[in-house]
Order: sequence, then structure tokens, then C-alpha cells
Amino acid sequence: MFRLPAGTYFQSYRQAHSFWPTRFMAFRMIVLLIVLFAVVPFTFSNYALSIANRIGYTILAAMGVQLLIGFTGQLTLGHAAFVAVGAYVSAIFTLTAADNASFSPFWGFLTQTGMAYPLSILLACLIAGLWSVLFGLPSARVKGFGIILTTMAAQFITVDFVIAQYVSQIGGRGHYFSIPPGSLKIGGWALTGDRDAYFLMLILVTGVTVAMINWKRTRPGRAWIAIRDNDIAAEILGVDIVRYKLLAYFAAGMLAGLAGSFWITSLFFVSPEHFVWSNSLWWVGVILIGGVGAVDGTIFGAIFLELMLVLVNSFAVANILFLYFKDIAFGLAVILFLLYEPNGLSYRWWQVKNYFYLWPFSYK
Amino acid sequence: MELLLQLLVSGILVGSIYALVALGWTLIYKSSGVLNLAMGELTLVGAYVCLSLYNNWGVPFPVAVLGSLVMGAILGLLVERLVLRPLIGKPVLTVIMVTVGLSFLLRGLVGLIWGTDTVVFDPPVFPAEPIRIGPLIISPVFLGGFVASLILLAFFVWFFQGTRWGLAMQATADDQMAALSLGVSAKLVYAIAWAIAFMAAGVGGIFLGSINGLNISVGHLGLLVLPAVVLGGLNSVPGAIAGGLIIGVLQNLTGGYLDGFIPGGIKDIFPLAFMAVILLFKPYGLWGWVKIERV
Repeated sequence: MFRLPAGTYFQSYRQAHSFWPTRFMAFRMIVLLIVLFAVVPFTFSNYALSIANRIGYTILAAMGVQLLIGFTGQLTLGHAAFVAVGAYVSAIFTLTAADNASFSPFWGFLTQTGMAYPLSILLACLIAGLWSVLFGLPSARVKGFGIILTTMAAQFITVDFVIAQYVSQIGGRGHYFSIPPGSLKIGGWALTGDRDAYFLMLILVTGVTVAMINWKRTRPGRAWIAIRDNDIAAEILGVDIVRYKLLAYFAAGMLAGLAGSFWITSLFFVSPEHFVWSNSLWWVGVILIGGVGAVDGTIFGAIFLELMLVLVNSFAVANILFLYFKDIAFGLAVILFLLYEPNGLSYRWWQVKNYFYLWPFSYK
Repeated sequence: MELLLQLLVSGILVGSIYALVALGWTLIYKSSGVLNLAMGELTLVGAYVCLSLYNNWGVPFPVAVLGSLVMGAILGLLVERLVLRPLIGKPVLTVIMVTVGLSFLLRGLVGLIWGTDTVVFDPPVFPAEPIRIGPLIISPVFLGGFVASLILLAFFVWFFQGTRWGLAMQATADDQMAALSLGVSAKLVYAIAWAIAFMAAGVGGIFLGSINGLNISVGHLGLLVLPAVVLGGLNSVPGAIAGGLIIGVLQNLTGGYLDGFIPGGIKDIFPLAFMAVILLFKPYGLWGWVKIERV
């Protein structure tokens, strides 16, 4: 846990349990939010905002991985499958016949609903969550490596088979659904540019971060952490581990669905290639570099890796070489972090914070 | 009936290559407990080394395979020393993800050095016209892979059962603490396991790559060893071999029979789906050790 600044003490349980225990913390976070909501979108360029959106998407997707690996201890290497489910559900239900005139008549009842985008987000979360529970079922019997393999199976079955071969055919134009600009609206607010997507991203990321921090303190959150630390001991103590594991899969699937349905605002088309296996691995790398089990670590990891990508991109000489440098940089980053900074960036941040909190009386 | 026989035979032939790679995987897991997800990339490295020796340097094919084995052994020792050894005793997630990082690194390096174009052995190593045995049609590539896999499997099993180092590996796999106290060097055992895994994967990659040409997606085929080892039970050498054969046969049978009903590459995902279902009923695979856990 955090340490309190020198000279500050809790005086009531209410204060000890509050979201922001000290006024300074509240002040700091509110300033951060004001900067993010009111300053950044109007001063940064569109390119910078598109990078910010990418970071936000990575955070949203990696939060689900964090919930499964960091909170519940269920290793997952197939998270991109559920993100893909979210993106496809949201895209299919939002688009109307006018957007995709070539839709085959048979699937018309599905594809011409023209559902409101916020509703389609909810539906995407629900379906992605249920799909995730389906592949979480083996976790009732196996753990460790078995779980890794079933999540890998989820990845290849969902993305490379069901979506690439069947769902993509619904659109009737081969491999992708195009998303015409202006087809995603929230009420009267059309999400057309990077700035609109940025606001939506910020709202979602803030909400998900708060939810994740608070989930840790609820009954399911404590059950998840008990399962992570020692599942047999948790079961002996009366935690229904199958139920809570499946709940974790459902929650992670919902976060994945949210990430996917957000990400279509920044895409011109949805294609299975956006959700390949290396994305799943990439998100696990995000939480490793940020710190396993730490909510703020997810954010640090996402920022680190996406900025690394931007850096690699700017150095890349030719387009095709960039692909390899990206792989090499990611592989090296993961290996070096595991060898030399196994607790991740959030631990380093914690140390820096404590240094200043306890200064000048650091007794530790 | 002839179709069934044909599918079975070619399944066993491909499966023997999977069995070889799976054996390498199992040796690592058995001796050091590392769950290695970089197996697909290990196949790529070995295959590309052999191909460069053969195509660019004009080395005869058997010598090129030998060169790839030597290169694999060196790389295996290096990887174990630099990456895996500092992580002995760390949580499962750490060790798994370090192999994932390794797989990204190797894939990037392979792409950087050899590019993405599909390359073939030139001039072809195996004749193109198939061999006919009665009603069966067998491609020489598959037969070559089968023979090479059998030779290497026999060699590795002999190494594991009959040599001093192999016995040290068995002892470490059985009880690490007891082995250490009897003077077995665990470091040496881990190093040998990684060298063998690289060598086995490399030879597997050479033959998988000479079926349809070699490109990055051969690494994806190398991933099929994971269902094979899970099916066999992670720490059983005969299980890995049987698992590889079963996965090869299953892949061919689904490709032959189910592809007509459910088109679109069911061949590639069926082994994974099958494995997920098997895990529900036999969590420790067919011949794996049942672990009794205590708090």
C-alpha cells in the first residue's frame, strides 16, 4: 500500500477507506483530470491525440488482462479474441443498410438494425463477456499452463476461424466492415475526428480505472485476490472459486468488449488483422512492464510501450523494417524488464512517491 | 477407405515431425519446469540457418542440417545462459513471458535477416513426384521428415536413457533437490535441455519448411506442439511423441473430412479446440503426472 506523507495520520475509518485519503492526493488527481480533459485536447495536434487514443485503447484492453492475470492469477494469452468480439458486435449493430449497401439479404435482420452506438457498446460488452466465460470454463478444472492453452485456443478459434471465415462474410465484401465517418454517434454528437474519440476514450479510461481500483476492495475483488494468492486456501476458506473465476472472466470479457467497441471509432474498417495473436501477447507485456496487479501499472505500461512504438516508428527507415524493429523492441523490453525490473514501472513510481512523501524523514 | 488410410499415413508422417519438436519442449519442461512458448520461433531459426547454408553457401543438404544442429545447440546454450538462468525459481508468469519476449525477439531478428518472402530449398532436396506404395501416395518430403525425425527421436531417447548426462537430466526432473545433493549440476542439465530443444525444433522446422516453402507462418505450425505436449501430459517423453502423432493424424483427418462441411482452415484450429476439450476431462493429459497440491 501507499505510505502517508510525513506528519499525516488517519483519524477515522472513513478516511482510511476513502478513495483519495488525503486532500493532496485529491488535488493532484483533479489537476491531472482537468489537464487531460480541458488542456490536452485543445493544445495537442491531431497526431498526438491519435497516439493518445492508441494509448487509451491499450489501457482499456490491458485492464481486462490485468484483471485476469494481476487480480485473479488466471494467465490469459487470448484477450484479443474478446476485444475482436466487442469490435465486431458494435460495428455490426451500429451500421445500417445505407452504410453497407452490399450486405447480403439473409443477414439483413442483424445488420440493418442501426442501433445507437452507446447501446451497441453495452451489447458488445455483454456478448464479449459471455464469450469469455465460455472459454473460461476449463479454468474450473485446470490451471497454469492449461489455462494458457485454452485462451490461446480462444484466440485462434475466434479470430482466425469464426471471425475471419464467417463473421466477415456477413458484410458481403470479403474481409472487413468499413465504418463510414459519422456513422458512430452518441446522441447528436458524431464521433468523427481524433478529438471526439479522445474525449470518449478519456471518459472510458477514467471510468474503468476507478472501477478497477474499487473492484479490488469489493467482495469479488477480495475473492479474486485470494484465488490468485492460493486457490486451495481460498477454497478452504469458503470462496466459491469456480464462480469467482468465471466472474473474473466475465468482467475481463466486458472490459475487452468495451475496448473493442471504443476502438472502432479510430478505425476506418474492422478486420481480423487488427486482433491477431501478437496483440494478446502485447497486452500481457503491457501489464508486465507496468506491474502485475497494479492498476496504475497498466497505464504506465501502456504509455511506455506505445511511446516506444512511436519512437521505433520515427527511427524506422523503411516501412517493412519497422515491423521487425517493433517485434525486436517489444521482445527486448519484456526480457529486460523481467530480468532487471521485475516489479514493473508502478513499483518504481511507488518508490519515487514515497521518497517525496517521507522526505526528509525516510526511515525505511 | 483408401482416403482414410491415406490421411492416417500422412498424418503419422507429419505427426512424427511434431513429435520431435514436442520432445524438445518436454525435455525443457521436465528438467527445468520452464513452459516454453517460443517453440514456433525456434523452428524458424533452425530452418532458416539450414536454408541459408544450403542455398547461399552450396553446402550439401545433410551437412546443412548438421550445421543447423550445431547452430541450434550454440543458440540454445546462449539463450539458457543469458535469459533463462537468472529467472530460475521465479513465478510461472515471469518465465512464460520471458519466452514470449524471446519469441518476439527471434521473430523480429528472423524477419530482419531473412525477410518475409517465402523461400524454398533450391535446388529442391526432395524429388517432387510422389512415391506410390499400393494405393497410397506419399510425398518424399514427408518421408524424409519421418525418417529424420525417427533417427533423431531414437538418438534423443537413447541420450536420455543411456548416457551419463541423460541420467543426470532424469534425476533432476525427478527430484531437483536430491539430484543437486548427489552432485548433479542443474545448470548443465538446463543448458543441455535448451540445446536439445533448439536442435529438435530446428530439424522440425527444416522439414515443415520444405513442405510448402519457408516463411514466418511455419512458426505458427511450430505452435502445434503445444496441444501435442498437453495431450501427452506435460512431463512425459513417450506422451510427447504420442501426442505429436495424434495431433498430426487429427489434423489430417479433420482436413480431409470436416473441411467440406465447415470450410476455412478448420485443420489449423481443430488441434487447439480438441485440446481445450481434452483438458476438461483429463487435466493432466494422457500420461502426465497427477500433481497433488497442498496449501
